[in-house]
Amino acid sequence: MGPSPPTAHRSRKKRKPEHSTSNGAVIFDSSKIEKPAFPLVAFFWPAKGTNTSQWIILPLILMLIFLFRWCTGMWPYSGFQKPPMHGDFEAQRHWMELTANLPVTHWYFHDLEWWGLDYPPLTAYHSWALGRIGWLIEPEWFRLYLSRGADDTDLKVFMRATVVLSESLVYIPAAVLCVRQLARLHNINAWEPSIALTALLMQPATILVDHGHFQYNTVMLGFTLATIASMLAGRPLWSCVFFVGALGFKQMALFYAPAVAAYLAGICISPRLDAPRLLGIAIVTLASFAVLFLPLLLGTAYDTYRNVPLPSDATLPPLLSSLPWTPSEKAWYYPYLTQLAQAFHRIFPFSRGLFEDKVANLWCAIHTSGLHKLHNYDSALLSRAALGLTLASITPPCALLFFRPRKAMIPYAFAATAWGFFLCSYQVHEKNVLLPLLPMTLLLATDGGIKAATRAWVGFANLLACWTLFPLLVKDQLRIPYFVLTGLWAWLMALPPVSIGAYTVSGEEGGLSVVSKVLHLGVYATMVAWHVVEAWVPPPNGKPDLWVVANVCFGAAGFGLCYLWCLWRLVEESGLLSGKGPAKRREEVSKKKQ
Amino acid sequence: MTDQYPTLLQCAVPATALKVLLWLAYRSTDFEVHRNWLAITHSLPVKEWYYEKTSEWTLDYPPFFAYFEWLLSQAAHFADLGMLEVKNLNYDSWQTVHFQRATVIVTELVLVYALYLFVKSSPPGSKKQAHAAALSILLSPGLLIIDHIHFQYNGFLYGILILSVVLARKPSGLLASGIMFAALLCLKHIYLYLAPAYFIYLLRAYCLGPRSIFTIRFVNCIKLGVSIAVVAGVAFGPFVYYNQIQQVFSRLFPFSRGLCHAYWAPNAWALYSFSDRVLIYAAPYLKLPVNAEAVNSVTRGLVGDTSFAVLPDISPRTTFVMTLAAQIPALVKLFLRPTWDNFVGTLTLCAYASFLFGWHVHEKAILLVIVPFSLLALKDRRHLGAFRPLAVSGHVSLFPLLFTAMEFPVKVVYTVVWLAVFLLAFDRLAPPSEKPRVFLLDRFSLLYIAVAIPLLVYCSLVHQLVFGAKYEFLPLMFISSYSAIGVVGSWVGFLVVFFTS
Repeated sequence: MGPSPPTAHRSRKKRKPEHSTSNGAVIFDSSKIEKPAFPLVAFFWPAKGTNTSQWIILPLILMLIFLFRWCTGMWPYSGFQKPPMHGDFEAQRHWMELTANLPVTHWYFHDLEWWGLDYPPLTAYHSWALGRIGWLIEPEWFRLYLSRGADDTDLKVFMRATVVLSESLVYIPAAVLCVRQLARLHNINAWEPSIALTALLMQPATILVDHGHFQYNTVMLGFTLATIASMLAGRPLWSCVFFVGALGFKQMALFYAPAVAAYLAGICISPRLDAPRLLGIAIVTLASFAVLFLPLLLGTAYDTYRNVPLPSDATLPPLLSSLPWTPSEKAWYYPYLTQLAQAFHRIFPFSRGLFEDKVANLWCAIHTSGLHKLHNYDSALLSRAALGLTLASITPPCALLFFRPRKAMIPYAFAATAWGFFLCSYQVHEKNVLLPLLPMTLLLATDGGIKAATRAWVGFANLLACWTLFPLLVKDQLRIPYFVLTGLWAWLMALPPVSIGAYTVSGEEGGLSVVSKVLHLGVYATMVAWHVVEAWVPPPNGKPDLWVVANVCFGAAGFGLCYLWCLWRLVEESGLLSGKGPAKRREEVSKKKQ
Repeated sequence: MTDQYPTLLQCAVPATALKVLLWLAYRSTDFEVHRNWLAITHSLPVKEWYYEKTSEWTLDYPPFFAYFEWLLSQAAHFADLGMLEVKNLNYDSWQTVHFQRATVIVTELVLVYALYLFVKSSPPGSKKQAHAAALSILLSPGLLIIDHIHFQYNGFLYGILILSVVLARKPSGLLASGIMFAALLCLKHIYLYLAPAYFIYLLRAYCLGPRSIFTIRFVNCIKLGVSIAVVAGVAFGPFVYYNQIQQVFSRLFPFSRGLCHAYWAPNAWALYSFSDRVLIYAAPYLKLPVNAEAVNSVTRGLVGDTSFAVLPDISPRTTFVMTLAAQIPALVKLFLRPTWDNFVGTLTLCAYASFLFGWHVHEKAILLVIVPFSLLALKDRRHLGAFRPLAVSGHVSLFPLLFTAMEFPVKVVYTVVWLAVFLLAFDRLAPPSEKPRVFLLDRFSLLYIAVAIPLLVYCSLVHQLVFGAKYEFLPLMFISSYSAIGVVGSWVGFLVVFFTS
């Protein structure tokens, strides 16, 4: 397996019938009768063995996952009727308000205190387009200054619809393509990828954050999926374009950047040095960034032409004064430079703290658990410590991917790198857990991905992540959707706390080892116990955040396990230990069988 | 015998998840109606139940339903006391909403159990078909729209109906079936429409000899008579004791209401009103007299008292006679050949007759037709052919119940998914029929289904863009006339199938 573009058009080999059920969706009961391995499979049972067209199955899946998303949207959103600042819903609405009303040069200079725009330009353009559409429907929703904190019910419908629409345009097609590419890579029959796709699209954490809490993460995640799909299809140049899209929508996509870079660099040096490809990647990446900033710069040109001054309260970005030369205010390029510098200044606010609120990562766990009060330290020192630890955690997966750039390793490497960032870097939000979750959940579409072992680990990460999101969701009054969606997903995948289906399979039959089983079940038991305590026992006096702190510390430890597992599977998949990857070994085994 | 996947319970789990997510969705005044009944039954003595009128939503269901509300109110006690106060009109704390929504989901378990028994009791050769039919009822968009968004307890009530129908499958269950149906009548009297079929079936299969109708099985007659008397006694006894029976019945049967409900149910009277509406424009050419006063009333489509401008007015007596006349042929056939299949067919036809010709029919009553028909739809391809237009028109006719933007995608997408899944599955599962099918009917139903798409697009989008808030009766009239054509068409189709098989 290597950088061989023709694989994109390789036709799928016909698998033998007994082989086609080997991915783990079907098990046999004592009387050798086929049975669905877990409840989600049961819903695809009528399509099994029949030649039901993907043109029927796919729309049905999409409509059903839409229903769950839309009905989650009926619940409150973050900051619903919570003055003075409201929440993420208001932030997104405000961005639509300001981009739809103000000249382009004001976008990154407008009032920082009231949810100033601090996302990269693609988000700004996205807000502008949605704000314009919304303006056509009801201008009152987006009147400059006057619409702050608007909570009209129709506005809620509109905003919820924009999330669904954005997701349908980016995330969903990308997910479909990515799952197809993985299935092709791992030679899986036509039936089982639909199951993996449904599991991926029903991920409770994503639905709860985007359609409950209110954000547009799926756009960024969708671009990431498109990046992975392009890599799997052997189209590295497209993956550059899509990844710039992801970065341009939300800077948090940087979690993946080292892995993306490692893979792209890796396929340029192995099996042999491929200078034209390296050049191509560099040019396309730069060109994509140029296109990303082009509308902002064109807008600046237009405003310069019209002599629109910057807002009166605008302070010039510090970045501008730290340049090696002092640009003249009269120079033709000065307005453009100011805009770019200000955008960077907003997007990367280095002055903020190590972590925000309560997030289940290393720093917050160390700080809040009382092991060490980190605010005693100099913030520069902490930043350096965070940087060092992050580098230490992401180097192994990225190095592996760089030296052995195999397609099958991509999801593991992405997941391990993102876990490393989530756990060790600074400026992390609890919602960023969606980033490592996505590539990890993709593993369901790989070879043996829905067998008990992988399913249990993927499920473990997902349910633990939802659990660490719980304190946030409670603030948004999303307690019931949390229990409904996580419970449903756990049930569909036969996972605790609603089922132990995935843990009754022995190690030899594709189940977990005893150690992992004990670890997992222990964590699940703790999560359930935590919910009971949180619901019925008030925290002791003077420590009102005790339950949240417990959640954070425990979550960080669990995520650490997920990181280690991804890393270990990555090492296994790379073939570093045996000299051969498991993919190769598997091929040999199946040859022997024949 | 291998199990059928997904099983009933497996389908119930995600369906329940979706229903819980719908707790905060739009709810109609029926929510307040049921809250008020909780309050009345909880806080007032029995003799005041049918007199209490603080709220305009007085208790107008039979006593068993009042007892049912009283039972629920015992649990409501733990959720929020506020909802149990008669004076707390329109009380909707989140505990109240969650509690009442949850009771709908929990009581629906009766339906799950009844469907489980239905599949279990069906002959081995048609297990697969029975399973598909059971799933289609469990996941019915009708129940989702009416119960879990609009707010009612139909899942529970239809569960009891199916339980009674399933019990009637075996001779040993006939008595229990009769008792169950009597209890159902005392829960909601709309099921009176189905009573003729029960009466004839129990009479012929339980009270008269299997060979000759002249041998009367007196023991069975007495058993059935006494049981039904006991059920009725438990239900109405207290009110007879308090001498309130007249008051109770005046609440149950308010004949002062108009021929058509506010929004026309898709029945014969909708087509009649539609024709009348068209004739207003044609009358000058045909030299027909026009009742000028009525012109306004019909156009609005919102008035209780519908009067017609050109066509003759309809009296309750006329509708009653027509309903009965439409039921009699099926009843005669059932009397002559009292098989279970004929019984379910007759139930369906009785429901059709009363839905199509009844007085003041609600659009929700279409479930009365769809549910028993679903049990038969997979008998063979001819039955399926008649069922298809009903499945489309019946559910489309429920759309106007929900008019809020947030619920619009839910009702449409859910119904489309349901139609796609079950029409495809039914198509695969229905065995070929012994008699030739009417070729034209299939083409008609395909065309009919296809028309639904532009119609919905017009009614939900185009009309508002073109006319704004003007002529808002137009989309409603189109939907109800469209649906009426489908219901009437499937009725005719089923009549043919029923009387030729």
